[in-house]
Amino acid sequence: MSNDFYQTSIAPFSGIIIKICRAYTDSQEDYEDYYQEVCLQIWRSRNNFKDKSSWSTWIYKITLNVCMTLLKKKKNNRNHFVSDTNIQEQISESSAFPDENLNILYDAIKKLSEIDRAIIMLYLEETPYQEIAKIIGTSANNIGVRVKRIKTKLKKILDGKID
Amino acid sequence: MEKSIETIWKNGFLKEDSLVAPKVNNLYNQKSIHIIDKFKRMFKINLISIVFFSLGFLIVTYFLDLLITGIMFSIILMALVFINKKLLENLYKLDKGASCYEYLNKFNSWMSHQINLNKKFARYMYPMIFLSIVLGFWFHDAEGVYLGQRLVEELSYLIPNAPIYYGVPIILFLPFLAIFFLLYYFGGTIYKWDLNIVYGRVLKKLKTLLEEIETINTIK
Repeated sequence: MSNDFYQTSIAPFSGIIIKICRAYTDSQEDYEDYYQEVCLQIWRSRNNFKDKSSWSTWIYKITLNVCMTLLKKKKNNRNHFVSDTNIQEQISESSAFPDENLNILYDAIKKLSEIDRAIIMLYLEETPYQEIAKIIGTSANNIGVRVKRIKTKLKKILDGKID
Repeated sequence: MEKSIETIWKNGFLKEDSLVAPKVNNLYNQKSIHIIDKFKRMFKINLISIVFFSLGFLIVTYFLDLLITGIMFSIILMALVFINKKLLENLYKLDKGASCYEYLNKFNSWMSHQINLNKKFARYMYPMIFLSIVLGFWFHDAEGVYLGQRLVEELSYLIPNAPIYYGVPIILFLPFLAIFFLLYYFGGTIYKWDLNIVYGRVLKKLKTLLEEIETINTIK
């Protein structure tokens, strides 16, 4: 991947990628792998981008697809693959961000299903329901209902944990 | 009052250093190490499977009274395992600290060497396996006499004037020699098929990875 492509087309959206990758990983090593894999997939798929959607929506889609695929692969391999590289630095009790409340919120988000994680992340990024629906592949009404349910779930998990 | 999740989200990312992206330059190193690690695991599992298979085959042939086949087959497969174990040891010596392009290229050289050696071996291995099967059946007990001997007797009865070489009608040698030399001739090709079935996907991934690195190096 050329440095120019990264600087102009990925770096301005790195925030989105970081936020999503953090929600699907439990270790610093995994997070870095997922981030890099997303960047690589964006670069690989750059010629398939059509102007029908915005570049940021395109990035959301790729990031979510890559994260969910890698998570599935990881779950499948967990029992019969032991990495012969270094031992992973676990951050399951998240300390990825300087803000303590944000870390607690992330821990709660990680307890949701993969799809619910995607929906709530897009909602928190103030993505319109219509666009979330397009990315997830459902109706906007359905997204509205799901967001309400997810928020209730999150509130239950977070109950008493946040200052 | 408790903060809403929207507020936590917004405030959380206001702090500096909240969104520091990791460096992207190490991805190909990790990918190449991962693919080669996967290949090593498959290679090792393959060798272990061959050992177990040859032992199992030896036991089965003992009970089927085809022990010659079993012994020859096991010796051939053990030689195959021995050669490939040595090759695997060299693979483990590849330096993971080298740049990914260098690492992949070294792996490619190792792979070419491995393929060449196994192709040569396959040219002898398949005919020898065939020979082991023929000998196994030849010396198989058929109501007190060897099956081969019985075949010779039957053939001598059917074609009494058939030319004989070392007590065996030459007509029996012909199909044997034809198959033997065909296996010798196509041994390398058969090995390549086998290689593609077992490692095809990994090798394809590796090829894509090398192509990508070369593309990346040419993009400005």
